[in-house]
Amino acid sequence: MIVSTNWLSEYVRVTAPVEQVVERLALSGLNHESTSTVGDDTAIEIEVTSNRPDCLGHIGVARELSVLFQRPLLIPNARPLEAGGQAGESVAVEIADRGMCPFYSARVIRGVRVGKSPSWLVSRLATVGIASVNNIVDITNYVMLECGQPLHAFDLSRVRGQAIVVRPAEAGEAFEAINHRTYELDPRMCVIADAERPIALAGVMGGADSEISDATVDVLIESGQFAPLAVRTAARSLVLASGSSFRFERSPDPAAVDWASRRAAMLILDLAGGTLEHGVATAGELATHPATVALAVDRVSEVLGVEIPWEQQQATLTALGFTEQTEGADDEISLWHVPSWRRDVTREIDLVEEVGRIVGYDLIPEDATISARPVADTRRQDVTRLASDVLIAAGCCEAMTRSVVDEVLDLFGSPWSDKPSLTISPPLVRGADRLRRTLLPSLLEARGHNLAVAAPHGDLFEIARGYLPGAELPVEPHFLSAVVGGEFEVGKGLVEAVLQRLGINASGLTGPPPRASYRPANHPLLATGRTADVMLSIAGRAATRVGVIGEIESALIAHFNLVGPVVAFELRIDTLDTVEDTDRAVVRPSDFPPVERDLNLIVDEDVSWSSLASAIDEACGGLLDRLSLTQVWRDDGRIGPGRKSVVVSLSLRSQDATLSGDEVKEVINTIIETCTRRCGAALRA
Amino acid sequence: MDLESFVLEVTRLRDEAEAAFRDVRDAASLEEARIAFAGAKSGRLKAVQKLLGGVGSTDRPQAGRAFNEVKQAISALLEAAQDRLAAATASPEAAAIDVTLPGRPLRLGRLHPITRTIREVQGIMARLGFECVDGPEVEDQWHNFEALAIPPEHPARDPLDNFYLNVARGADPLLLRSQTSTVQIRVMEATKPPLRIVSLGRVYRPDTADATHYPMFHQVEGLLVEKGTTMAHLKSVLRLFASSFLGGDVHVRFRPSFFPFTEPSVEVDMEWGGRWIEMGGAGMVDPAVLEAVGYNPDEVSGFAFGLGVERIAARRYGVADIRDFYRNDVRFLEQFG
Repeated sequence: MIVSTNWLSEYVRVTAPVEQVVERLALSGLNHESTSTVGDDTAIEIEVTSNRPDCLGHIGVARELSVLFQRPLLIPNARPLEAGGQAGESVAVEIADRGMCPFYSARVIRGVRVGKSPSWLVSRLATVGIASVNNIVDITNYVMLECGQPLHAFDLSRVRGQAIVVRPAEAGEAFEAINHRTYELDPRMCVIADAERPIALAGVMGGADSEISDATVDVLIESGQFAPLAVRTAARSLVLASGSSFRFERSPDPAAVDWASRRAAMLILDLAGGTLEHGVATAGELATHPATVALAVDRVSEVLGVEIPWEQQQATLTALGFTEQTEGADDEISLWHVPSWRRDVTREIDLVEEVGRIVGYDLIPEDATISARPVADTRRQDVTRLASDVLIAAGCCEAMTRSVVDEVLDLFGSPWSDKPSLTISPPLVRGADRLRRTLLPSLLEARGHNLAVAAPHGDLFEIARGYLPGAELPVEPHFLSAVVGGEFEVGKGLVEAVLQRLGINASGLTGPPPRASYRPANHPLLATGRTADVMLSIAGRAATRVGVIGEIESALIAHFNLVGPVVAFELRIDTLDTVEDTDRAVVRPSDFPPVERDLNLIVDEDVSWSSLASAIDEACGGLLDRLSLTQVWRDDGRIGPGRKSVVVSLSLRSQDATLSGDEVKEVINTIIETCTRRCGAALRA
Repeated sequence: MDLESFVLEVTRLRDEAEAAFRDVRDAASLEEARIAFAGAKSGRLKAVQKLLGGVGSTDRPQAGRAFNEVKQAISALLEAAQDRLAAATASPEAAAIDVTLPGRPLRLGRLHPITRTIREVQGIMARLGFECVDGPEVEDQWHNFEALAIPPEHPARDPLDNFYLNVARGADPLLLRSQTSTVQIRVMEATKPPLRIVSLGRVYRPDTADATHYPMFHQVEGLLVEKGTTMAHLKSVLRLFASSFLGGDVHVRFRPSFFPFTEPSVEVDMEWGGRWIEMGGAGMVDPAVLEAVGYNPDEVSGFAFGLGVERIAARRYGVADIRDFYRNDVRFLEQFG
């Protein structure tokens, strides 16, 4: 809303400089956007919140100023001289849908001279950014900007059948607006029709055929009440917002409906001549909302936390137009009648806000104390922080990508759901209307960007939700996902490090739960034969899948213009955070020396490392200090086809004594024997 | 002997030689290492050379290459150790290194600046007794609107102003939450007062992406519901927050505003670098909201405030275009310590 300072001065005389005016308005609820000079006038743009339609007119803003600067408010009179016939005989008004239009009124002025507006009117409108059209149209705009009630003027000779019918539009009904564009209407919108066709889109815009022209002699002034929803629907779906629709969407002051009509008639008689017919043709009943609200005398200080003298509260509310009622009130409770232009005030708390915003929130102290209260981070916060720390130390940057992806990214699929993804409307950005079921395609896209701009690297991770179609609300897993350059083992190493940091035994071997294990898997996005599910075993619970690791399949490497190999993983933070990092008993490091041995075991190709390692671990009976894989190699000639040589390096150590040569020999024999029995292994000399 | 075993042997020899020559400190230990690895009679190199004969003829060229490499490497190690020792005995200065040479690089990743900001806010609020809570991003209309005193005909519910889903709960389509207040409603429904929480996360509003807008952004919202809470408590908590976050004794200013779920509602300005900077919205929890979650507004009152994380982060780090937060360019991310 733009206000003119010259215009405001008609209703309230404020001598303070404009900077001060603007600041006082901002600190009482009308936020300042900008100030500019227009000729000898000053335009102030203020932001009016949707609950304050009263400030969508100069009088409303002037009322605020009159309260803030304690100056009288002068409202012009609106008593035009009536002569000639009866408006009710010139036009018949009918409302077909009271839900869309509770009340409609029409005044008739005959014999006007349409022409230029006087310069004061032209310049006032210019200050607030409205171009002059002709005196009649300018007056309807002027009155709207004065009191906030939109008006429309019709050329009466174009209103066929001397009838005004306010009704829902018919489906597909065509309407040519004053911008000379034709719109197709639907029954959610309200039209003003004459006996034959729509002549205005109610509360939004007039029609081209009935607009005021140089040839107009007789004028019909419309002032009515239109339902916010119908007006908004029309303005939005036709992209036809206007000053009128903006105000009707916020319900103007009902008391202004007739005042505005009279005020416009008076100005027309003054500036364009003519004769105002007696009375007003109406239909429906003016919708009003009389309200009386109780305010406890000590309520304001209870909410604001500062004492404000009761007399000051009374004076503030009175100046704003509230009237105190004595009947029903007592020493503790006061009763206030709400003025017609303040539909937003219906409850005691609303009155508290009125007092607070005028008296000034600056009075509220900023040294009140609150009690101390213990707060611990949630396990999810801990898990998220620990996991990110690991990945940052490993050289990955945290990314943030959009939760909603386009069809291309979506159709790559997800390791977590093969149900179609949920969609939104409108799209988040162009084409992006699918709620993602995995973060990996978005991260691959970001990696591609980094490669394209020759960034130092594109190793990225992200912690965000996915959205899986569920029974009621969708399931929203918390993912920790990453894409990094390298083969499977690089990704697995990162996963193991993250899990270890969370207190999970990540080796995939035996040991007490919580323990992770890895099994071959097949998933969209990830290369066949180079992908694993990460399983988590927790004491007393069946193993559950908490993640996937895999090399990105070559088609995606090509799609995102990446250089392979790229490995990705996606972990479920929302499952990992159910594992408590409980205080566990520390094992005292042994004081005795280790004995190191290498073993070269020949096994069938399908024997997994984890089965071999578990067998070794078990055979050592608690003496295994360290076990690592030195090498795997294959040689059809020497070892035979379908077999492989697994060279392991292990270290044995006892808690209690130095191991003797015999003891070591015995353990090694047990290892070989167990590996042979469980895995079909043969020792290669 | 097969090729793999031979290569394994060669690799091991190289590793051990590197370690041995690195540990050389004087002429005696140098000679010792020389004999052990490069000795003509029984040096380790010689021993490995003998193994070469045992490698099958097809693999022998490859094995020979591996052997030559390690031989050259050991001779280089020996020379380097001799030079080093000679330099050290010649003058201490010559043994000194150029300390301005770069260290061995360790590539560190970075936390996203939005996460950094969120953690900082969380940390400050935790010290003020606010617990961190979390909730779904896909919401039903009750939690996103009705419970927040936004009735069905309210313009905020317009399909063009929200991201509605293709699935519904009952007759009402679900939507991506437009504010994190939804989480506060969920917590209040499940918890009795007193209560101090901070909810944060992604929220979604249809806005054309430009330098200052993005249809997805992060919000931090604080909520306190206790007996006898006043706007003075709100102002004081925000002042403590601002002082902690910005450093120094920061003042807070309220400007009246309008939000459906708070009354009175205010915009919060904080004094930053001699200017009032808009930080977010706040207010006293509307009694209708307290009633909607089963609290008695005559017994408890509360305040709520919300901050836009992108806006704070952009200002703090001088990011002119908030879209940069979502481009995930490592050259951008690496600038945050």
